[in-house]
Amino acid sequence: MKIDPKTFVKDYQLNVCIQCGTCTGGCPVKFRSPLNMRRLVRQSHIETDPSPLFKRPELWACTTCSTCSLRCPAGVKNVEFIMGIRNYLANKGEVPSTIRDALENTFLQGNPWGRFRDRRADWAKDLGVKILGEATTETLLYVGCAPSYDPRVQTVSTALVKIFQKADFDFGILGKKESCCGNEIRRMGEQALFKKLAKDNTNLFKKSGIKRIITISPHCFNALKNEYPDLDIPVQHYTQVIAELIETGKLKMPKELNIPVTYQDPCFLGKQNQVFDEPRKILTSIPGLEFAEMERSKQRSLCCEGGGGRMWAEGGTEGTRNGEIRVREAFALGAKVLATSCPFCLLTLEDAVKIVGLTDQIAVKDIAELVSETMD
Amino acid sequence: MNIAVCVKRIPKTAEADIFIEKDGTDIKKDHLVFHLNDWDGYAVREAALLKEKYGGEVTVITVGPEESKEVLTRCLAMGADRALRIEGPPTQDGHLIAKILAESIKNQSFDLILTGVQAEDDNCGQVGVSLAQMLGLPHAAIVTHIEINGDKAKVKRELEGGIDEVTELKLPAVLTIQTGINEPKYVSLAALLEAEDKEIKDLGMEEIGFTSGVSVDTKIDQVFFPPVGKMAEMLKGNPEEVVTQLTEIIKKKKG
Repeated sequence: MKIDPKTFVKDYQLNVCIQCGTCTGGCPVKFRSPLNMRRLVRQSHIETDPSPLFKRPELWACTTCSTCSLRCPAGVKNVEFIMGIRNYLANKGEVPSTIRDALENTFLQGNPWGRFRDRRADWAKDLGVKILGEATTETLLYVGCAPSYDPRVQTVSTALVKIFQKADFDFGILGKKESCCGNEIRRMGEQALFKKLAKDNTNLFKKSGIKRIITISPHCFNALKNEYPDLDIPVQHYTQVIAELIETGKLKMPKELNIPVTYQDPCFLGKQNQVFDEPRKILTSIPGLEFAEMERSKQRSLCCEGGGGRMWAEGGTEGTRNGEIRVREAFALGAKVLATSCPFCLLTLEDAVKIVGLTDQIAVKDIAELVSETMD
Repeated sequence: MNIAVCVKRIPKTAEADIFIEKDGTDIKKDHLVFHLNDWDGYAVREAALLKEKYGGEVTVITVGPEESKEVLTRCLAMGADRALRIEGPPTQDGHLIAKILAESIKNQSFDLILTGVQAEDDNCGQVGVSLAQMLGLPHAAIVTHIEINGDKAKVKRELEGGIDEVTELKLPAVLTIQTGINEPKYVSLAALLEAEDKEIKDLGMEEIGFTSGVSVDTKIDQVFFPPVGKMAEMLKGNPEEVVTQLTEIIKKKKG
């Protein structure tokens, strides 16, 4: 399918732009790259053939956090526009080499890191987790790529299993049959591969007879909930499930955690999907935990820069990382733990803690890890 | 400039769990994913770049089973114009593969024949140079740069110690292509689906002239894992314990 950039004005409503600059004003990478959304929209609108504009490397700096399109008062589809440009480039084969490898890996092995497909469920080997197909259950824990393979994020997966098991909550995983959800794949421009993953995963979910899906990553949550065209099974993020378990009294947290904690809203959970309350409800229910809110939170939360394929991009940005800014904000607040509920936030913020040299002052933890600590 | 590129479909074994078949002559492959040999990918991309510069046609050829069509489709999506699959005998014999390729190429007029330096599975590096010998054509192996000047090709070859050798060959010639000669483009799923509509020609051994069968000169008796070395020691424990043990070892070795 050939993509004609001349249709972008209509496709992404570039002609309704009033040049107010709200998009660029809220962009989390505007100080880190030459990406200027207001200028891009304007130039793409007035050029007869905008395709030469799309050769600019800064188009790969966008994290697809969606602050611009959510704040746009006129209704320009800024982030869809960026994804459209990337789709145009991907179809021509013109993507940065690290993005190329991530896309090829997903096509072959079902995950962007190219890890061996058969090892996807190795993390769950000795945990007594039901594997769909071998056992039956109505609830699927869709694990996702980073929680399956990344050693740091695997601890979130195992913490979540422990929580569910302690609460007698019945669930299963797909094991090595699970494939990438495609959220980042779509954002890196591979719309056709995303459609294939969505179709294959939807068929697999339907065949497994499940009635409910829980995701670990907000990125998987977003794809499954909003972008799978034929999926009619309800999807929840795990924080929503834990909050329910706490509310219904099924989950007990016996141990006190006497630590000051603040929370980073992941873009794909918070501003894009309006899940703000459940993570806070969990944190404030943990006995002893002192919760404090950072000045920029909820809709105004600062993107960690892990989305939009940035986990597989190299360079393209310079200067202080948003993660460093965020860690310093949390530290200034007196927090000993910067909590989050997203694998990418966890990785980018933990890197940032090391960069700013605060490893013995502040830790980055997933909410599931904190809840699990109350059960030791 | 008409170019032939010889390619191979191979299993991806990096990170995979490897098991040996019961008869001991091969590894198990049913749980592995297959792809275009890395070196061949660079060769196809180089052919597409030469076509952009000098015009002509790119033909990709493979000797292999029906499943090999998937790598030919990828090559067509990468810019090849024609694709040919030869249903050869199941063999790892590079000499025989070269013979089959030579038979299928000898009556066609190509200015340039490219192969990868070697294949990721057996790493023999035989086919390209054997093919040149059989076709009676000049060749250069481990090529990292190509320039065409009239009926000559000036090429850079990668030698040991980071040295480049510059050689001039008269065309037609056979070149075996080293990784890094170019930057392979991403092949999108949309491009692959489009390429699936292009024709892939299938030929049997008899159709290319092997009427009385072929002799296989190389037979694999046994494959086995490399023996575990005695020098390796796996340190056990949490990161702190491992670091303590490791520093002790380094201190001791340092004397």
